[in-house]
Amino acid sequence: MRLLASLALQNLGRRKARSLLLIMAVAVASGVVFTGATLMRSIDSSMAVGFTRLGADMMAVPEGALTNITAALLTVEPTDLVLDRDLFARAGIASVSRAAPQKIARVEHSGIGSHHDSVDLIGFDPTLDFTVQPWLVEKINRDMRPGDVILGAARDAPLGSELLIFGKPHTIYGRLGKTGVGTHERGVFMTFDTLEALAGSVRGHGGRPPAVLQKGKVSGFLVELAPGATPLQARFAILSTLKGVKVVSGDSTMSGIRQGLAALLNGILALMVLMFASTALMVSVLFSAIVTERRGELGLLKAIGARRGQIVGMMVIEAVIATGAGGLLGVALGVLVMRLYERSLVYYLENIGVPFVWLDGPRIVIVAVAAVVMASIIGALGSLYPAWRASRRDPYDLVRGEG
Amino acid sequence: MLTCRSLRKDYVTERGEVAAVAGIDLEIAAGRYAAIIGRSGSGKSSLMAMIGGLSRPSQGQVSVDGTDIWSLSENALAAFRNKRIGYVFQFASLLPTLRLVDNVALPAMLGGARSSAPYARAAALLGQMGLGDHLDAYPSEVSAGEQRRAVIARALINEPALILADEPTSDLDEQTEIEIMDELLAVNRERGTTLILVTHNLALAEQAEQIVHIAHGAIVP
Repeated sequence: MRLLASLALQNLGRRKARSLLLIMAVAVASGVVFTGATLMRSIDSSMAVGFTRLGADMMAVPEGALTNITAALLTVEPTDLVLDRDLFARAGIASVSRAAPQKIARVEHSGIGSHHDSVDLIGFDPTLDFTVQPWLVEKINRDMRPGDVILGAARDAPLGSELLIFGKPHTIYGRLGKTGVGTHERGVFMTFDTLEALAGSVRGHGGRPPAVLQKGKVSGFLVELAPGATPLQARFAILSTLKGVKVVSGDSTMSGIRQGLAALLNGILALMVLMFASTALMVSVLFSAIVTERRGELGLLKAIGARRGQIVGMMVIEAVIATGAGGLLGVALGVLVMRLYERSLVYYLENIGVPFVWLDGPRIVIVAVAAVVMASIIGALGSLYPAWRASRRDPYDLVRGEG
Repeated sequence: MLTCRSLRKDYVTERGEVAAVAGIDLEIAAGRYAAIIGRSGSGKSSLMAMIGGLSRPSQGQVSVDGTDIWSLSENALAAFRNKRIGYVFQFASLLPTLRLVDNVALPAMLGGARSSAPYARAAALLGQMGLGDHLDAYPSEVSAGEQRRAVIARALINEPALILADEPTSDLDEQTEIEIMDELLAVNRERGTTLILVTHNLALAEQAEQIVHIAHGAIVP
């Protein structure tokens, strides 16, 4: 193996210009694929956050509830009417991708703010939520626990400090960014359990705790459409499946953009696959030419005892070294390109309120390693057939230049 | 002992099938120096290629010390070429990216030997060929005669039973030709290695113990 690798390296060193061109060509392809894959995944997750920040596609509330719908469907509205918390989970509506239940209780004399301030206490399920947590701009570095609260942007208090609600201590877990939606900005968010634990302190109409603070009851659901589903289809499906429910729609443009983006990213992925395939073809053509040029030497190696596997191995190792080096260079170029990208488009996106979320370090490393491995595999596949053909020839034919 | 039975090589050309070697029977005893002579295109190189396991015959058998070499598997034949046969071609047949010592050690390395032993042997052989000062030189840095001597050293690295030399001096000047032939004959005499020389130079062939004259793919009696 060392001998074959050594011969392969020496062969690459003979035609430095050609080897460098091959390495550069593979570097460009690998760089594009690495950069493309990293940015695609980053844009995908950024857009996911960005779009969820724009709110749900629609909202399902109790039939008799009065709703003051805003352009951004981030929270349901306070109401005395309630729905079952597992309403959507039980129904399993195909045109609905996610339905996040929320309970909201507008309370006074809670101890938050001045004495007569009304405060919206909003309960959500962190595992189903997609409109509250994407807005977190700062939080304690741990998962949310019972007793933790998240403050809307209009409220200010240090993270980790204690907040008394109806005299009960709570820990400030995080703070949301500015949304421009009053309920959202002035709200105090907590898990269902934390909110339900306050039921004994909150008095609604008739002196009883509001119905929404009962276990298993919610004020409504924020609904996200399934890919490909239209708002009309989902509305019809919800109304025909669930009784006592009213559907309120938001801006359908965003649903269309969200679904279109998924198709665009798939198209980019297909282009990257084509790019790798064309690189493999190029490597194959190049190595066919290299084999023709070197058939005398290959014949000589066979004559002095090289086995077919050694001939194939030497050519494949040569290709793998060149394309692997190209892959590494491509990743390095990709990192440089992304640095430039970070300073321009990322800045622009963040200016319009879309946070750019880079893939985390380990995932970028995985994409980089995958790009280098793919480049090496392409080298191996591209050189395999020409090398295999040469190895089948009689040494005498190769030595005479007839291979 | 080298034995050829009904050995035939046909080539397909645009004008149809041409017999380069047309059914040759031949025996060469072990340790002998034999010369295969004939005009260009007579089929002597094709015959040597089949004897050396380099070109598969269209028909017939080649047996070296009782082994029918063309019935061996591909890998076994490669190993046979590696261990039992040394080649000296009519062209400069050193790998240009390797030093002389690397080139000479290469067959042993391909055969799976560990690097220290082949390199010691390669250095000794190059020394015997008068190239002890050129171990680290690349082929392009030495003369054509020195390259040919390095090729002879490479042919000897695995101590083969048979050396096949296909017009090894055709591109060399007269003095160098004499030196190279002296080296080959010394190998034949001192090591008892069978030497088969393909040549159209009758003066070289005259020193052989057995002369095989080929014309139109057949042995001329």
